Amino acid sequence: MAEVRKRRGRIQLRLNAEERAALGMIVEQLSPQVGQVRRTIPVAYEDAELQAEYDRWVRPEIDRGRGEDLDAIRACLGSGEDVTSLSDDQALAWVRGLNLLRLTAGGLLGVEEDGWEQRAEERVRHSTEFRVLLALGLLQEELVAVLEG
Amino acid sequence: MPPATAKPPAPVETPIETPAGSARGLRDPGWNVVVWNDPITLMSYVVLVFRRLFGYDFETATRLMLQVHHEGKAVVATQPREQAEVSVCRLHGFGLQATLGRG
Repeated sequence: MAEVRKRRGRIQLRLNAEERAALGMIVEQLSPQVGQVRRTIPVAYEDAELQAEYDRWVRPEIDRGRGEDLDAIRACLGSGEDVTSLSDDQALAWVRGLNLLRLTAGGLLGVEEDGWEQRAEERVRHSTEFRVLLALGLLQEELVAVLEG
Repeated sequence: MPPATAKPPAPVETPIETPAGSARGLRDPGWNVVVWNDPITLMSYVVLVFRRLFGYDFETATRLMLQVHHEGKAVVATQPREQAEVSVCRLHGFGLQATLGRG
C-alpha cells in the first residue's frame, strides 16, 4: 500500500510497481475526460458575458496548470523507482492532480450528494470508478496530512 | 465533502492573498470569493487550500471549510475584483468550486 512520509524536509512517496502501474492506468483513462464533467469546468461568474471573458483569458491558464499537475504525476510514475522524493511544490501538484482525477471519476459515477460513500448501491460499490475514487482519496489524504504536518 | 482527519493547529503558511474583509474600501465594496460545497473534494484538502492560498490559520480555514460543508457555500475572501478573480482562478486550479460576485 502507498506510503507517504516526510524526511529531511522532503516528502517521500512509496509506490510499488503494481501501484504505479494501476495509478498510471487511472491517469491515462481519466485525463482525457477532465474538463468534460461538470465539476471540472471552471465557472467563475453567473453573468454569461463575464464568464465568456473568464473562459477566454483565464481558463487556458487553469488548463495549462492542470496539464502540468498530471504530468508531474506521470513523471514520478514513469521513473521506475519505488520511492519518489517530492518537494512541497511537487507534492501540491500531486494533490491537485489527484483531486482533478477524483472530480472526474465522481462525475462519471454521477455523485451529487455528500455521503455517497455510505449510500452507494452494491452495483456502484463494485464499479471501477468507485474503487478509483476511494483509492485516490486515500492517497490524497495521506499527502495532505504530510503537507500539513 | 468527505470527512477530514482531525489535526492539531499548524503554523500559518505564507499568505499570498487578502483575508476576507480587509480589502474593503469606501468606493469599492469588493468582490466576494465564494467557495461551494462539492461531495467529492476531501475536507482536509479544502483546509489545506484555504491555508495555502489565503494564509489562514488552521482554525479559520477549518471554520470556513465547515461552513462550506454545512451551509453549501462560504465567502472566503472579499477583495478588489482583479484580485478576487486571481483568487478564484487559483481555487479552480486546486479543483474547488469557486465563484465571485459583488460584495
